[in-house]
Amino acid sequence: MDLFDRLKDLREQGLAEIKEAESEKSLNDVRVKLVGKKGELTQILHQMKDVAPEKRREVGQKVNELRDLFNEKLASAKDNLIEKAIEARLEAEKIDVTLPGRRKHVGSKHPIRIIQDDLERFFIGMSYQVVQGPEIESEHYNFEMLNLPKDHPARDMQATFYVDADHLLRSQTSPVQARTMEKHDFDKGDLKMISPGKVYRRDDDDATHSHQFMQMEGLVVGKNISLSDLKGTLELVAKHEFGQDRETRLRPSYFPFTEPSVEMDVSCFECGGKGCAICKNTGWIEVLGAGIVHPNVLSAAGIDPSVYSGFAFGLGLDRFAILKYGIDDIRDFYSDDVRFLQQFRQEED
Amino acid sequence: MLVSYNWLKDFLNMDGVDPYALAEKLTRSGVEIASTVHPEDGLSKLVVGHILTCEKIEGTHLNKTTVDVGEDEARQIVCGAPNVAAGQDVIVALPGAHLPGGIKIKKGKLRGIESNGMICGLQELGFSDSVVPPKYADGIWVFHDPDLKPGDSVFAALGMDDYVLDFDITPNRADTSSMEGAAYEVGALIDQKPKIEDVVLKEDGADWTGDFTAVADEKIAPKYYLRKLTGVKIAESPLWLQVRLWNAGIRPINNVVDATNYVMLLTGQPMHAYDAKLFDKTKKIEVRLAKEGEKLQLLNEKEIDLDPQDIVITDGEQAVGLAGVMGGLNSEVTEETTDVILEAAVFDPALTRKAALRHDNRTDASALFEKGINWDNTQKALDICALILRANAGATVLAGEIKASDLDKEAVVITTTASRTNKILGTDLSMDEIVKILGKLNFPVAVNGDEYTVTVPNRRWDIFIDSDIFEEVGRIYGYDNIKSTHPATGELIGGYAADEVKVRHLRQLLEGQGLSETINYSLTSEELATTFVKKALAPVKVNWPLNSARTTMRQNLICGLLDTVAYNFARKQTELQLFENGRVYDMEGGDYHEHEHLAAAYVGLAGESNWQHKDEVVDFYYVKGQLEDVFEMIGVKDVEYRAEAIKGMHPTRTAGIYVNDEYIGLIGQISPVLTMTDKNFAGKEIYVYELNLDALLPLMAKGVKSKPAPKYPAVQRDLSILVDEDVTNAQVESCIKENAGKYLVSVEVIDVYQGAHLAAGKKSLAYRLTFLNEAETLTDAVVTKATDNVQAALEEKLEANIR
Ligand SMILES: [Zn+2]
Repeated sequence: MDLFDRLKDLREQGLAEIKEAESEKSLNDVRVKLVGKKGELTQILHQMKDVAPEKRREVGQKVNELRDLFNEKLASAKDNLIEKAIEARLEAEKIDVTLPGRRKHVGSKHPIRIIQDDLERFFIGMSYQVVQGPEIESEHYNFEMLNLPKDHPARDMQATFYVDADHLLRSQTSPVQARTMEKHDFDKGDLKMISPGKVYRRDDDDATHSHQFMQMEGLVVGKNISLSDLKGTLELVAKHEFGQDRETRLRPSYFPFTEPSVEMDVSCFECGGKGCAICKNTGWIEVLGAGIVHPNVLSAAGIDPSVYSGFAFGLGLDRFAILKYGIDDIRDFYSDDVRFLQQFRQEED
Repeated sequence: MLVSYNWLKDFLNMDGVDPYALAEKLTRSGVEIASTVHPEDGLSKLVVGHILTCEKIEGTHLNKTTVDVGEDEARQIVCGAPNVAAGQDVIVALPGAHLPGGIKIKKGKLRGIESNGMICGLQELGFSDSVVPPKYADGIWVFHDPDLKPGDSVFAALGMDDYVLDFDITPNRADTSSMEGAAYEVGALIDQKPKIEDVVLKEDGADWTGDFTAVADEKIAPKYYLRKLTGVKIAESPLWLQVRLWNAGIRPINNVVDATNYVMLLTGQPMHAYDAKLFDKTKKIEVRLAKEGEKLQLLNEKEIDLDPQDIVITDGEQAVGLAGVMGGLNSEVTEETTDVILEAAVFDPALTRKAALRHDNRTDASALFEKGINWDNTQKALDICALILRANAGATVLAGEIKASDLDKEAVVITTTASRTNKILGTDLSMDEIVKILGKLNFPVAVNGDEYTVTVPNRRWDIFIDSDIFEEVGRIYGYDNIKSTHPATGELIGGYAADEVKVRHLRQLLEGQGLSETINYSLTSEELATTFVKKALAPVKVNWPLNSARTTMRQNLICGLLDTVAYNFARKQTELQLFENGRVYDMEGGDYHEHEHLAAAYVGLAGESNWQHKDEVVDFYYVKGQLEDVFEMIGVKDVEYRAEAIKGMHPTRTAGIYVNDEYIGLIGQISPVLTMTDKNFAGKEIYVYELNLDALLPLMAKGVKSKPAPKYPAVQRDLSILVDEDVTNAQVESCIKENAGKYLVSVEVIDVYQGAHLAAGKKSLAYRLTFLNEAETLTDAVVTKATDNVQAALEEKLEANIR
């Protein structure tokens, strides 16, 4: 067999062996055998002396071509094998991605706080200051300063928690109005405030009564504050809290510390105004009380009612939460079942 | 106040005034209408029937009747009512009739006897038990009206064709608690002047005032008028009057009682009728404050001990009535009564209110007196009542009346301006418009330029000042017609006080750590209020607590969190991470104090349990780590934890938390004595911390001043020591910090070991010290010198062996 035939055989045999090598080691053995220093190709070159001189060049050329071919195939076979090894390893690392993850506890904000925080930001956006006042309050601020003199029917001893002869747990957030007005320096500008906080009434706890609940008081006093300003403000609150498509109405009402006094209703979110159990068939739901600050209240705080006027409103944060989230038992807010609390994680606020 | 639409027709032309639209108008402009009821709604085929024959069905309580219902033939109807009899005009529900509650009347058989309809009582037509006249309470209703014919619908006769508007009256609008008051209000809204007529009474008996005296103190009874009538024949009132009473929610009793109630409904002036016989002996009535020890039995048979602040009516000797509240049983009008003394009076509102409350005996009359009544109606009420008794009870009105007191009330006169009216309302009303609005209310107005003066009639005793006038103008103009504007207050900056921002930041951090926010009650028991605190202060207790669990204002938040833990445990929720931010309350030096606190409670696993079994159970160090994260996030440094015994807490697993030697709170495990003995807690380990924010907030970092990340590498050295088991980590750490020089940036505990491999009473601690020089690379020599110093100090001060 001449060298050309041998080269031809070697080509076929070599390519087959490269293809068949299954590991990096066996591939390396093939490499040594084919293109190593003592490999087949080298051996062929060693037999060059037996070739006719005019053919030597051609043989040399063929050998080099074959070496290049082998090297190229060896390299790509090696890449293949490495790739396969990685694939095999990754396959072995397979996990069931449908199994559940390890979870931490996720916190939640109390539903009343969601309402409170939201309203605070809403009013701060309209340049109201957030002000706090004491919960253990004097009769003076809780009643007298609010135009509720001694013997006023609304000052029912039975309905208020007294802690001594003239101190009580505030029955409303309104005393903060009086305290703030008293301190406010009107030379430095008008007054715009809200005051959220706990209030207390001597009611036995049941689905609709709580001896403790939360209110938010609002007050604006300046030289040109009117009922139309109150109306515009309350409409914004109602739409912000209960939806842009809610209708509102103001009704005459009575509070000792405002005159005129109004209550605001919004169209029932359940029935849209047709009448249902939630709105007691009226189509309307009462959401807050408000009015023009009574001149006696301004005077008591040292403000001249012939120069200044103001409006005030008070809303129940519990009530807002009850209406907004469809809660049917006020005690749920204070017994704090975690399953009740945690559903409010989904509320954007 | 239940206001009858049909009755309003006496005062106003109601043609074209839809009752439901009127209710909405009233709600928006005057008085909230809680409901509008049309009693005949949903009912049908109820007619007048005349009973021709009535015979008892043997062996039953039933009667077989034949009834003429205006058809060709009489119907046979079986009736079980005890008072059924031939000759009566009754209510018949024909077959196919609809009754309240979805009941439908069908032809049928009772005890095998055919019955073609039902003879009804008022309750079966939806009347409340509280308005059915006593005589017909347990049987069928019987008409006594000759104008009614068999087959007539009963709705008009019984007033069921009326619309009843429920006026939900605020305390200031008690003027609408009468038909006349309601008519003025409705008139203002439909722009009509109501026909409120004066009465002319021609007395027809002899003068009685010669030998009768009445005495009343003006201070407690500013008006006290009496009339006497004789020859009264007690009977049922005419149906039209009974209808007006029951549609107003008042039960008809007899012609005398009904007359006083009717006049009260009409005028708002409570009336009382005494049996005159009681005064035959003394010929005297005296109105005075009660005396200590005096007793009175009221009409409702309640025996009361009178209080010296009660106003009583007496015959000069004994009490015969609690003024403005209820008459006495001894002067009650009965079937035998022939002569009555009628009383119309004004009593002091506060005394009347307190008496009604004191004796737990509020009545329609006391409710009217306490909210005030129309002083101008006393005479009219008395005279109308006399007229009605003459018409309905055949009474003779004796000549003369006695006015034991007769204080006049001057009308309130208010002067203000159109510009101020517009300024307060935010309106742009002309003087003409204002005058027109006040005219609708029938208020006399005098105008002088921009100024106007209103003379307020006494029937509107709620109006005193200009603001009251603005309210009248505003509501009649219509709140719907007022513009919506926004306060022009000039430039103001809104926002929170600095501390409020910090508190809200803390709440957010805890929520981010996975805690659920709770809100708990401030009132708790005195015991719990003063547990879980380092030092209990004087408790704040409420008078008349609702129950023994809510007597005292809390001095800690942990007690509320434990309530919440117990509530959740009872509902099988045992993985809990909760917090509360709120106030605690105490008393010191006679002053009340409120402090802002923050507390958290942890029970169970740190995360959700998982199938990989990588659960971490909450323990002291987990909770402390969470708290340390909080301190890190708010920039509070150098926090010290000192082992401390605190009431209610685990004695050896609790620490007081200090910053700069100031106590700011506690952390630890709730005492097992509490969790083991209280079955709510099932022996679970509950860990808590509570912080006094009044102390903590001032320590919080104020803003961030940025510096670049370190450019040079930090160097770490580990240090392992053997010390006596009593030596605390805090001692070792402070020794390291004091001696490691200025490049030490952190000390980390990496191991704590105590056990078999060590000598008894010893423990091994390992620390990782990190050094960093922000200006250049630290050399080995510098670090080695620092650690050598530390080792020497530990050996010397804590007798540590370096390992
Ligand atoms: Zn509805």
